Amino acid sequence: MTRRLSIIVAIVSFGLVFASLVVGYTEQQTARPLAESYIRLVPQELGAPNVITGILLTYRAFDTLGEVAVLFMVAASVGLVLGKERQPRSGPLADRFDEVKPSSEIVQTGTQTLVPLISIFAAYIIMNGHLTAGGGFQGGAVIASGVLLMLLAYPQYQPGLEFLGITESVAGALFVLAGIAGLIVADGFLDNRILPLGQFGAFFSAGAIPVLSALLGIKVGCELSVILERFRP
Amino acid sequence: MTDLIGSVLVLLGAIFHFSAGLGMLRMPDVYTRMQAGTKASTLGNTLVLAGLAIHHPSWGLKLLIIVYFVLMTNPVSSHALARAAHSIRIPMAGDTGIDALRDARQEAGSGT
Repeated sequence: MTRRLSIIVAIVSFGLVFASLVVGYTEQQTARPLAESYIRLVPQELGAPNVITGILLTYRAFDTLGEVAVLFMVAASVGLVLGKERQPRSGPLADRFDEVKPSSEIVQTGTQTLVPLISIFAAYIIMNGHLTAGGGFQGGAVIASGVLLMLLAYPQYQPGLEFLGITESVAGALFVLAGIAGLIVADGFLDNRILPLGQFGAFFSAGAIPVLSALLGIKVGCELSVILERFRP
Repeated sequence: MTDLIGSVLVLLGAIFHFSAGLGMLRMPDVYTRMQAGTKASTLGNTLVLAGLAIHHPSWGLKLLIIVYFVLMTNPVSSHALARAAHSIRIPMAGDTGIDALRDARQEAGSGT
């Protein structure tokens, strides 16, 4: 009885807390000055209809580079922590999964149908980052979800770790090189105006933003795939 | 008129979703719950998206792709879940009469 009473008291107090939030909420009618200047400047200076990607890949691209570096550290440290407990790589991988039940035919067929779709969707998200909602990080995460599906459906499946590592490094290096090119040709590090801005709203537009977005997507997808592969038993 | 047809389709879909939720609550074991949840919500999703397509014909292609995606993923994932539940021997409801997967496994095992 006391238990039920305390539950009721907890629910009612939670309700009061959230009710006060709902009652006190007033929607902001106008954009703050910073937001307003971003909304004005991004289409004008950068030629990108998607303001958020414009901010992330130009004004705050250095910050984005830092985030990618953090993700790289996560991948490296996951490899460091989980890598030691693995069995030696010399034996054929199939032996490690001998006792594992293979996934059923329906799952395998579904995976074969879905993984290409997921990859196409990821490419769409990455390449339209400067036009619609999306961008490198989101598309990279979608790529990694396709890799996860492959790992779940085929326990023996092994993504090429060396290939992933090299691709990731090359993408990261190109990202930094594009930034340095901005330093030389345009106004500053990671300035997107090293390439012509093009027509507003077209697929090839907004200067270097689609290129940076693609590099970022490749890098994030490789990093997350490596992390997923590390977590495999 | 088209708006009315679209709204009716969305409402039908919502009814199927409701029955899916009801099935999750009322069914006796994992397998029957999964059946209720999957089948009803797949049809419900399809109906809601079809209703939306009638409301906004210009969204048709994208909605068709979403329907295709749901039709591809929902049965496969519920199949994988149900198989996993079966293989770790989650008990069935008391009055279940038939277990086709176990019978098939036994047949395959005796055959080899």
